[in-house]
Amino acid sequence: MRIVLYLHLHQPWRLARFRYLDLGSGRPYIDEARNLEIFRGIAERCYRPTLARLEAALEREPEFRLSLSITGTYLEQAAKAAPDVLETLRRLVRTGRVALLSETYYHSLAFLLPPPELHDEVELHREALRREFGVRPTVLRMTELAYSDELARFAEGERFRGMLVEGWEGILRGMPPTHVYCAAPAPTVSLLARHYMLSDDIGFRFSSTSWSEYPLTAEKYVRWIAATPGEVVNLFMDFETFGEHHPASSGILEFLSALPRTVRATPGLSWATVDEAVALPPRESLSAPTTVSWADQNRDLGAWLGNDLQRSAFEAAKKIGVLVRKAGAPELLETWRRLLTSDHFYYMYVGGHGADAGVHQYFSSYGSPYDAYANYMNSLMDLRRRALERLGGARVPERPEWNRPR
Amino acid sequence: MVGWEWPPNHSGGLGVHCFELCKELTKMGHSVTFLSPFPGPHTRVEGVTFRCPADAPDDPFPGAYEIRGSPGGWQEGDIERFNAWLARFPIGEHHLIHAHDWFGTVGATELARRSGRPLVMTVHSTEYDRSLGHPWKEILERERTGVASADRVIAVSEHLKRQLVERYGASPDKVRVIYNAVRPSERLAALTGSEMIVLYLGRLAAMKGVDTFLRAAARVAPRTPAPLFVVAGEGPEAPRLLLLAARLGLADQVLFLGKISEEERVTLLAAASVFVLPSVVEPFGIAAAEAMAAGIPAIVSKTSGIAEITDSVFTVDFWDVDEFASRISELLEYPTLRRAMGDAGRRSMLLEGWEARALQTAGVYFELVTGGRR
Repeated sequence: MRIVLYLHLHQPWRLARFRYLDLGSGRPYIDEARNLEIFRGIAERCYRPTLARLEAALEREPEFRLSLSITGTYLEQAAKAAPDVLETLRRLVRTGRVALLSETYYHSLAFLLPPPELHDEVELHREALRREFGVRPTVLRMTELAYSDELARFAEGERFRGMLVEGWEGILRGMPPTHVYCAAPAPTVSLLARHYMLSDDIGFRFSSTSWSEYPLTAEKYVRWIAATPGEVVNLFMDFETFGEHHPASSGILEFLSALPRTVRATPGLSWATVDEAVALPPRESLSAPTTVSWADQNRDLGAWLGNDLQRSAFEAAKKIGVLVRKAGAPELLETWRRLLTSDHFYYMYVGGHGADAGVHQYFSSYGSPYDAYANYMNSLMDLRRRALERLGGARVPERPEWNRPR
Repeated sequence: MVGWEWPPNHSGGLGVHCFELCKELTKMGHSVTFLSPFPGPHTRVEGVTFRCPADAPDDPFPGAYEIRGSPGGWQEGDIERFNAWLARFPIGEHHLIHAHDWFGTVGATELARRSGRPLVMTVHSTEYDRSLGHPWKEILERERTGVASADRVIAVSEHLKRQLVERYGASPDKVRVIYNAVRPSERLAALTGSEMIVLYLGRLAAMKGVDTFLRAAARVAPRTPAPLFVVAGEGPEAPRLLLLAARLGLADQVLFLGKISEEERVTLLAAASVFVLPSVVEPFGIAAAEAMAAGIPAIVSKTSGIAEITDSVFTVDFWDVDEFASRISELLEYPTLRRAMGDAGRRSMLLEGWEARALQTAGVYFELVTGGRR
């Protein structure tokens, strides 16, 4: 059994309060200082201590392997807020035992936009990884582990050897997540299915004192893995699981450190990067006519586009994208893409199923989804105004179509 | 104010005009003495005092000011005697004389000359129009006297202003056009139109921060299509708020409804698009809760107690006029937001019925009567 530990590193450019009265004022949409302050806080609690333990494990355990995805917006913020974190990441990649994954630079929902947006953003990200780490990934992960037949075809067209997918019953149809699969419409693309039970034992349940398995030790956890039939066990989770979602006081960092040596001591277990795992022969093909993700109980895009606010904001962003591309100004395109980051839509999530609602509130930087929507729309309206100005000189912007009086 | 008729006895628009105008003027803090030929009865308006020749104690000779007719028809000599009484009226503390139509123009002109007070004349119609081109000379003369001697002439339409300039020789500079209006009950019925309504409903007291509402309205007002801002309720701040609205140039965009009935409240809540409660101090904010229950998205100050029981509301620092203006604009501008927040607000208020509050209150009783919580 090969263990694939894959951790996701992302920070969005959160928006500052941009009031309706600020339209046309030239105020920036993003409060850079505040974002960097947040980044520094997480670096202190999570990035630095976790990376230090991973680096130590790589030195100590020659068999230990790890895979990381790092978004473009994360790289931008790291360079400004904590260059040492970026330097540590480079050292990790240089070991040759840490694989990087491709994705959209802006952690966006670009796969729902007309081409060539998705290609452009994946290309931007490839370029950033080449620049920062000198590597070219062979495996693609889409924002929030979104996956569909269409995305598999895209990955094939972009010459990726594999993609990540949620190991959810809806797509596995009774098969275990511990096989390597391939995409039905694109057999050259191998699929690694997230073992969500084992992944969420660490990601969600580790510090829950009401959990029957609390406290979770590396020994117990590795025993579970060893007892799982199959070829690969895919442990995919947010990097911030370690030290941020679960504070250091929960013992999560010691747990992480203990994993590699416990695995070494267990016969039949070894580590693999995503690149190594997708090289294994696929057992079956999977098809996904609709998009699945790793979020919430429904494993769909409901967390980003489930309600009217989110859909209306995304549709507006889509329409403004046409103007922005037409305007042809790089700074407008960059601003627009920063607004496509999926987190902005996540903040507009309303209420919902008990556990999920709590998770959403935890990640939001707004008082309410309405707050998030109004602020986002104001920024978008202002961007629209700037694009129109660029396009038509003194032309008076007409009322946007989502906003005609009824 | 020199007039003729007054409710409940009035036959035309002049009586309604004087009545409504005086009501609004007194709300703004002005006091009015209404001079008419007839002793009443007069529908009472706080701040308005009524005087007529019949109550003059200093008749130069018996019957000198005796009015024999009624608002519906005067008798020979009534007009002369009314004007003679007007001319000698003790002006006292009054700053200004305002005469309506021709009845008292001669006396008012003399009173103004004698007392040195400015004279305003409102022309509701002209003798040319009333007589279909066959004016009664004497009335025409009295109209000319008023138009010539008044410092300002108010015409109820541009059409009338042109007549005054062309046929009465009025200088265009001194003629202002101020249209007639409709009364609150009729206006309320008109609220269900397509215009977007931003509503404040509550007492007009200092702690309610209604001035913030008006200042925010002034920041929102320039957008097209401009919304209508409605202030419903009465209270000690009313005069100051009316003056503030006038000073902010909001005359066309703010509607002060005064005290409203339960039925009118329901009409208003059905018509409003946005509810604003900008209180400086607001222990709870029942008005906002009721608006939300009616599905209207609400903006309340951060100090409002209601913000503790629901997220489906915008909260703003009570002094932050720009933030109130922005929140109002956002709700007007983004229909999806308005609907989503309105629906969520309604749902959240479903759980806030008085039944639950009574149960909780009874729970407190039990704590005491049964000696503590189980």
